[in-house]
Amino acid sequence: MRKNRNGVLLFIFILILIFPELLPSSEEQEILALKGAKVHTAASPPIPSAVVLIREGKILEVGSKVAIPQGATIIDLEGKEIIPGLIDEHSHIGSYFDVNEFTQPLGPENRALDALNLDDEDWYEALKGGVTTVVTGPGSGERMGGQSVTIKTWGKDPLQRILKESREAKMAVNARDLSHIPSIRKMFYKALEYKDKWEKYEASEKKGAPPEKDLALEALVPVLEGKEKLRLHVHFANDMLTFLRLKDEFGFDLTFIHSSEAYKIAREIAKRKVPVITLPLATRIPVCDEMLLGIKELFEAGVKVSLHTDHPVVHQKLLRLNAGMAIRYGVPEEEALKMVTLNPAQSSKINSRVGSIEKGKDADLVVLNGVWYQPRTRVEMVFVDGTLAYDRANEEKFKEERK
Amino acid sequence: MKNFRRTKLVFNSFLPLSLTLVFFIFCLGREGDRETQLLAIKGGTILTMAGERIEEGVVLIKGKKILAVGKEVEIPEEAAIFDAQGKHVLPGIIDSMTYYGIRPFDLNDMENPVTPENRIIFAYYPFGEFMRGKEGINRDREILSGGVTSVYIAPGDRQVIGGQGAVVKTWAESYDELILREPAALDMTIGDTAKYEMKREAKTPVTRMGISTLIRTNLLQAQEYLRKKKEAEEKEGEEKEKSPLFPRDPRMEALAALLNQEIPARIEADFADDIRTALRIADEFGFKLIIDSGLGAYKLKETLAEKGIPVVLGPPTHPFVQGGEVSMTRELYREMNEYNASELIKAGVLTSLASFGFGFGRFGYATQGRWLLIEAAYLAGFGVPDEEVLKMITINAAQILGVDDRVGSIEAGKDADLIILDGYPLDIKTWVDEVFIDGVNVYSRKGGRK
Repeated sequence: MRKNRNGVLLFIFILILIFPELLPSSEEQEILALKGAKVHTAASPPIPSAVVLIREGKILEVGSKVAIPQGATIIDLEGKEIIPGLIDEHSHIGSYFDVNEFTQPLGPENRALDALNLDDEDWYEALKGGVTTVVTGPGSGERMGGQSVTIKTWGKDPLQRILKESREAKMAVNARDLSHIPSIRKMFYKALEYKDKWEKYEASEKKGAPPEKDLALEALVPVLEGKEKLRLHVHFANDMLTFLRLKDEFGFDLTFIHSSEAYKIAREIAKRKVPVITLPLATRIPVCDEMLLGIKELFEAGVKVSLHTDHPVVHQKLLRLNAGMAIRYGVPEEEALKMVTLNPAQSSKINSRVGSIEKGKDADLVVLNGVWYQPRTRVEMVFVDGTLAYDRANEEKFKEERK
Repeated sequence: MKNFRRTKLVFNSFLPLSLTLVFFIFCLGREGDRETQLLAIKGGTILTMAGERIEEGVVLIKGKKILAVGKEVEIPEEAAIFDAQGKHVLPGIIDSMTYYGIRPFDLNDMENPVTPENRIIFAYYPFGEFMRGKEGINRDREILSGGVTSVYIAPGDRQVIGGQGAVVKTWAESYDELILREPAALDMTIGDTAKYEMKREAKTPVTRMGISTLIRTNLLQAQEYLRKKKEAEEKEGEEKEKSPLFPRDPRMEALAALLNQEIPARIEADFADDIRTALRIADEFGFKLIIDSGLGAYKLKETLAEKGIPVVLGPPTHPFVQGGEVSMTRELYREMNEYNASELIKAGVLTSLASFGFGFGRFGYATQGRWLLIEAAYLAGFGVPDEEVLKMITINAAQILGVDDRVGSIEAGKDADLIILDGYPLDIKTWVDEVFIDGVNVYSRKGGRK
């Protein structure tokens, strides 16, 4: 009798193991299923009629043969396309008037977060354009502008939106100012001395008075240690080469922003594995055909390319059009999608959370009513962390809720 | 051996000479035929912008004009054939608001807020690079690559009354043929850009009130000027002989042309309230009005439709014509509605889409007009039907500029300005393959000089 009861319990246990949905599901475990759309995951070839399962803000499963569990909320997206939430790796969204501390040409300690307007209307506009994650930072008026923030464009709690408030240093080379580079180099030397001083102090088990704290040098130390990234605003090829030399010397992690002439030194950049952020939205910016064709050349040379809007220079909502431009100038479609999703995620080191539609990543998804890169295609829905943050059908309602 | 050498010698000296002669005669012959030359563009999908689209149709061009268009056009034997099989044929694109071909520093007379006497045609430079190049009128591959064949060129928007604009083609065989209409309109601005406040100067105007007062004062002077001029002209006989010659004034003459409805006023106004001001002043003085940029025009669509006032909209991907960057125009940003064009068109307002773009050789400015097809494609996502969105950059633009008797659609009798595209016009992967202006193939995407 007793043996028998154990057997029944075992049977039930195995049953639950096989069909976990038999358990009464709690609110948190609600599953959302997006069904029928063509899914561009950015990590693998597009899946024609796929199912994306979302649970607790994460992607549970994606594929063409995924079974939809019982009780899941199903959204039928037949005829639509799904792409990962777009990532803009360089912009000034939310910080219009406070981007340049002109009085301080070398200010790596300045933090963009301190000048960020988290209630700015542009966040919602960017979201409407399918942009879910952005890097927003100081301007390029100074040699060292400060530290940027990596943040989502939507979230119930503004501060929860922040992915990381990096110590990444934003720098700018505004060309043809020869004293520029020596001043930056001197700052690097100082930072290395500072690091050394503190390391020796720590090694001596904190004997005597501690060395003086210096916010600026402290910001540069993790950059020189290679833990944080140095983002460089640069247009001219010779300036890029200068920083490649500095990189060879100091060994920091470097990313080029704007990179107008990167295509002229594609091999040098590829050799050092420096990611390049560039802007092909020629409808707004005077960009020549050579530069637009250069995106393809960079990609073919093996450089990791991301596309950016530099909002407000080009409105962030146009990031998708940027990818369209890259496609127009010869970049393969799936590669252009990576340039606004996975590539910026990888180069910003947030690819464990965002950048592609893969199991375990944040459920940041964009649903479109047509071919994703065509200018006429509209964003229908945007999911951020599994929540429907924008729905074109209910736009007015959502606007009201935001107020 | 000797003989051979002589033959060779003779051959060497005569061959180039005879070749030159043949070529010369050939050219002469062609030159003579220019007006009667026949060209048939055959097999393409023709979007005439004047009715139905024609599949696998023919456009027959004689000299500079379109002779016939349709599915069943008979092609004369002597006609040259251009095969457009599988391609789309469109009328040349018209950019109804640009600063194209003007040096940036020639755009605004910053000393004076009111200069109606200035004519932008004086600053227009279609001759390529200064002291360089062989051609007279430059074939600007950048703007031609966008299929733009005619543009409205305007003085800048930093003045209240900037001056007179013109409609020009992007290429012609001679300068005289380049100009479609001049003066075409009087350009004004009501809004923040015309204020001296932005330039940190205590100089009138620094408010919208100041702007309107300046316009009104000048128009009143022009009314008075017209009255006096009429009086002087009405004098007869001895009285006329004795009275001194009427003192003419270029500024007043320009405003008089506006009051006499010879040219319209193009007022750049974005806020609905600025458009209301423009409408009010136009009513008071009775002149023809065109609204430029008009981000808030959708709020007044019924009035605009009723009064027959057209709107020239800026590019939707960077709509902030006034003030430049988004950062400077927060209020304007709230005024904006992405469905502006769609609402205006549905209400029956004649609407065109323009680049408001700069473009001057190596001055570092973009020829933004070349992206009009992509701007149009973007607009098609916001409720404007495909046919309408293409009309906005062709026939509507021509109508607003008053040059629709010459350009804007593929119809018999109009100028042979047309473009051939390698795909559907509103696809981002589509390229302009060929551009014809006045029947001349002025741009080929492949094989052209770069």
